[in-house]
Order: sequence, then structure tokens, then C-alpha cells
Amino acid sequence: MGGLDELLRRHRVVICAGSGGVGKTTTAASLALRGALAGRRTIVLTIDPAKRLANALGMTEVGSTVSAVKVDGLQTGMLSAMMLDQKGAWDQLVERHAPSAEIRARILNNHFYQHLSQNFAGSYEYMAIEQLCELHASGAYDLIVVDTPPTRHALDFLEAPQRIADFLDRGVVKWFVRPYFSAGWATLRFMNRTIGFLFRRLEEATGVSALVEVSDFFTSMSALFEAFEPRVRRVYELLRSRETCFVLVATPEEQVLSEAEYFCRKVRELKMSLRAVVFNRVHREMSAGRQGVAADAVTRLLVRLLGDEATAAKLAESFNRYEMLGRGDGLRMEAFRRLLPKGVGVIEVPNFNSDVHSLVDLRAMHPFLFAA
Amino acid sequence: MKPTLERLFQRRLLFVAGKGGVGKTTVACALAMIAAQLGKRTLLTEVDGAGRAAYLLGVEPAPLGLPQRAAPSLSVMSIEGTAALAEYLQIILPVKRVLQAVFASRIYRYFVAAAPGLKELLTVGKIWYETERVDETSGRRLWDLVVVDAPATGHSLQYLRMPYAAHQAFGAGLVARESEHLIDLLGDPRTTAISLVTTPEEMPVNETVEMYQQIRDNLHMPLGVLFVNRMHRAAFDGKKLEMLERKLVKLHDARDRAVATEVLNRGREEVGWTDINQRYVQRLAAAIDMPRVEIPLVFAEEFGLREVHAIAADIVAESATPSRRGMVHGRA
Repeated sequence: MGGLDELLRRHRVVICAGSGGVGKTTTAASLALRGALAGRRTIVLTIDPAKRLANALGMTEVGSTVSAVKVDGLQTGMLSAMMLDQKGAWDQLVERHAPSAEIRARILNNHFYQHLSQNFAGSYEYMAIEQLCELHASGAYDLIVVDTPPTRHALDFLEAPQRIADFLDRGVVKWFVRPYFSAGWATLRFMNRTIGFLFRRLEEATGVSALVEVSDFFTSMSALFEAFEPRVRRVYELLRSRETCFVLVATPEEQVLSEAEYFCRKVRELKMSLRAVVFNRVHREMSAGRQGVAADAVTRLLVRLLGDEATAAKLAESFNRYEMLGRGDGLRMEAFRRLLPKGVGVIEVPNFNSDVHSLVDLRAMHPFLFAA
Repeated sequence: MKPTLERLFQRRLLFVAGKGGVGKTTVACALAMIAAQLGKRTLLTEVDGAGRAAYLLGVEPAPLGLPQRAAPSLSVMSIEGTAALAEYLQIILPVKRVLQAVFASRIYRYFVAAAPGLKELLTVGKIWYETERVDETSGRRLWDLVVVDAPATGHSLQYLRMPYAAHQAFGAGLVARESEHLIDLLGDPRTTAISLVTTPEEMPVNETVEMYQQIRDNLHMPLGVLFVNRMHRAAFDGKKLEMLERKLVKLHDARDRAVATEVLNRGREEVGWTDINQRYVQRLAAAIDMPRVEIPLVFAEEFGLREVHAIAADIVAESATPSRRGMVHGRA
């Protein structure tokens, strides 16, 4: 046992964060599989898995239902998977909390709500955390592995609850809920001549009667927002608790790493615990740390072996190109490593020769994730 | 000039769209570079980006909304919706001090958040403005070509859809009029083309096929070229590798054996990904009726201006093949 095994043993909630396209979903699924194999009741909460991986995990339908994953060789442990429905997440929240069918319909038809639920930066992220809290509170799992939504900035995940809390700030909401607001801009102009005037011009110019909708939205949902602040507090308590840790998933690409760097800093600022960094799709330079492998020496060796100069040259060229990739990856990862605080494990998973889509593939990641 | 690119460059406005992480910005930069080298006065605009386009073209990013010269005939600019809205408001409401108060106020934030797609609409509006912009001294258009590095898939669809949505939602007023212009511009195949970038792998291909269907069936916008980026192309096949595998066990020197084993592993990686890439190219060819340009993977330690030059050269070379529409490379 080594590598991330210790991390899985010590935490109940493991959150895989990182920018899109770095193998977050696969890494989360692979960690969850290991947890289950180690005998724990495990669930992986995922967002947008590739179809074949979803099939491998037995997730056939979107919509937040839990499916049991059949795993060979599982003894006391258990593996479940759940796919968060991004589009339906807010609707579910409304359904759950709206006091009556009439108010529910009113909210769902509100333009501002429709726009907010689809576009508000961080709303999916927030819903993922809501779901996490619910799974955590249910007590049905020893280990919850969370795959965070594919955002451009991994940070969105951490800031979403606060951003939503700010947006739904009770002071502002109350203000919008006041009846005169629904009457439109005339009254606001009365309150503050200049600003009111400008906004009225703005509404005229754009043709958007936005604030009436906003007001209506907040009025309909006021009951829901009363409970929001304490909820966001609880969310942050869970994210900061000793049971929870973050695993940053990245690739050794420049753009990904500069975002990852920012993420690491922010996690510390928010007093959350980053325990490991997993690099996927890593190329390793063979000559790293040793004497370089001279290009013509490789060609000579291959000619000697194959007796075919043309093929030898092609193979040697391909090898040298990968050495170059490996050199770049190595340098970038080394620079990144130096920025990490002590105690953060760094794991390298090589670029595989094929896509990772089955339980067998997920297991193939284990020797790298859990190497001693 | 190669036929595929020639047809593409007859347009004045080129969107480059695709999933995040597939090399969209790189391809957009390379296209802008090729056009500029052909003598077209070209503007590359990056939407909601972090100045990556400027970096790839070898210049420091300029403030939002300001074109910055990167090479002869080539400028680069960053656009962001909220800044574009502020710029727009300064035009229609020219009282600076009061505007500052508006921008700082909380209600303004709610207004921006609440007005469906106002931000997106103004972003597209700003692109339109640059596309039509006239140089006051010469009376000519300022740019022959505007290349847009669009945001990642979901978001770019949101942007492209916006003028239509706005036109439907707002019966009258400035937005309705402006959105009509935008619809004309975006829907005209003589002016505009939307090119797609993908890598030949599962998730990006799924998203690209979806996006293609959306653009074709729902948005009815003119499509440009499908760029398949990061193609592995092994120059050898599995048989050669099998031979290498059989022979290397006989090597006595441990170091030689280690090197040969590594060559074998890298060779397998290359052949493996070549196969996967080919499979996905076939899927793309079956699902997407667009001229296709494949761009080989660029092996480099770091990615910068030199690599963008290399990709530009690859795009020009690959476009030499007559349109690959409906034909799979290496099979026909």
C-alpha cells in the first residue's frame, strides 16, 4: 500500500479538481474503485463522463439516481456511481423547496430564473456541492469521491457557494422583494434620480424589462433564500473539515499548469486541504537525470538490431520526438513541484496507448496512483 | 493558394470554435497568421480569454477591447462581455462620472446578470463593429479579415445563438435593430464561416459532432473547415515493432536493452494513438459534412510562436489535398 492509499483511508470526502480535459472523471472513478476494493462503501459523484465510462460504471440515465457498479473481486466494499444532471440541478432545488405547485410553476417560468439556472457562473458547481452534502449527511458511505464540473477555471468550484451567497445576499434580496420594485423603474428613479434615469434609459435601449423579472423571482423564492446563508456555511464547514481533502488533477501542459498554480494558492487561502496532485498523460524523458541518449547512437543501435536503415531512422526519430515531449513535461512538472507546500504528494500517470474507458482500464491506473 | 483555405479566406469573419483544450487558440492564431502573410489586414480577437492569443503571437496582452499589433498586417485583441457593455454604455450615455457610479452599483450587476444574454450580445456586437469598422482617412474597411477565437463549445453556442434569441425576445428597441444586423452578418455565407477544431479523441469528437448539428440544424449558420488537431501519424507499423521486440531480448548490454525497450514503448504509443486517431477521424467524416484539414501533432518542449508558425505551415500544406469531404484519409 502506498501513494494515495493513505489518503483514501484517512478521508471520507475526496474532491478531484482541475481544469477541463485533464482526466478528472477517470481519476475520480479510479480512486473510487480502489476505495471499494479496499472494503469501503464508496460512491463516485460524477458530472459528465464519456459514454463508455458511464456504461462501465452502470450509469445509463442522467438524473441524480444512484447506480450500483458491478465489480469483480469485491468483498466487503461496495461501489456506487451517481451522475449529476447539470441542467436539472436548479429545477430540483426549486421542486424540493417551493412551498406550493403554483409558486413552483411561477419560478420555473420566470425568465430571470431560466437565465440564472443556465448561465450563472458557479451554479452547477454549487449544485454538485449540495449533492455532496446530502450524500455525506445520509451516512450511507464511508468514502465519497467527487468529480468536479468541467469548468475553465478549477477555482470556480471553490468559490461557487460564496458567489451564490453573495448574489442571494439577504439585504439585496429583501430590497428586491419590496413591492414597489415590481412597479418598475419609475419608483427607483424617484429614489435616486440619476441612477434611476440611467437604468431606465438602459432598459429602453435594450428592450429588457429585467428588474421586474428579478423582483418577481426573488419574491417567489424568498422562502428558499431565508435558509441559504446557514446552508452555505455548512457547505464550507464540510469543505474545510478534516474528513475532506482535495486532489488536484492536471496534465503537464503550460496552460493547465498555470491554472493549477493559481488553484493551489487559492485552496490554501480558503483553508482547505490539498493533499495530492495527479499528473495525467505524462511523458517521461528516458535520459532524465542520466547522460543523454545521443540521437545517432539510438539509430545505430536500431540499425544493428533490425538491419533496416529506413525503419531504424523512423523509429529513432519518433523516439527522439517523445524524448523532447518528456523533457518539456519534466521541466514543467519540476517547476510546479517546487511551488507545492510540503506534504502534498505528487503522482505521475503516464500517457496510455489507448483511451481509458472500462473498469479494467481504471484498474490499470492503480499501479501508478498507488505505487509505494 | 490552396482551394480549401482560399474559400475560407474569401469570408471576412471567421469563428473558430471547439471544446476547451483542443488547441482552438493555436489554430485561430495560425489562421490569422496565414491570412496576414497573404497580405490581408487581419484582426484576431480572443473572447473571454486570458491573453493566451497574444502570448502565442509573441506580444504582451493589451487592455480589453484594444487592438494590438503583433506582426505586419496582424493585430490581436481581447474581448470580454462586461467590458464591451461598459464601452457600449459610454457611447450611449456619455456622462463619465455618473457611469462610474452605475458600474459600481449592485443593481448594475443584477441588471447584467438578469438581462438574458446582454453580455453575449454585446460581445458579438463588438465583433461585428470591428468587422464593419471603416478607416476614417482611407474610407476603406479597417480589417480584411476578423478571426474570432471563440469560447469553449457550450459558451460559443450561447454567443452565436444570442442575436436570434435577442431578436425574438425584444420586440422593438435598439437591441432588436442591432440583432437584425448581426443575424444578417452571421447568417451570410459570403461574409461569415464557423470553423470547428477538435482532437481525434472520444470526448472532443462527441462534442464537436453535437456542435456541428446545432449549428447546422438550429442556428443555420455557414460552416467553414473542420480542423482535426494533434494527429498522431506513425511512420512505421506494428510489424516493425514486433520485430524490434523479438530482437531486443538478445541484446547483452543492459543499457542498450533499456534504450531499445524505451524505443519500443514509444513506438507502441505512437502506433496506438495513430489507430485511435484514425478511428475518430472516420467517425468525424461520417458525421460531419465539412472540408477537413488534419494537423499533425507538433512535438515540442514548449509551445510558443515557433510552434504556431509550424502549425500554420502544416495547415497550408494539408489544405493542398483536395477537399477531404466525405473521404477518409489513408483509406480511399
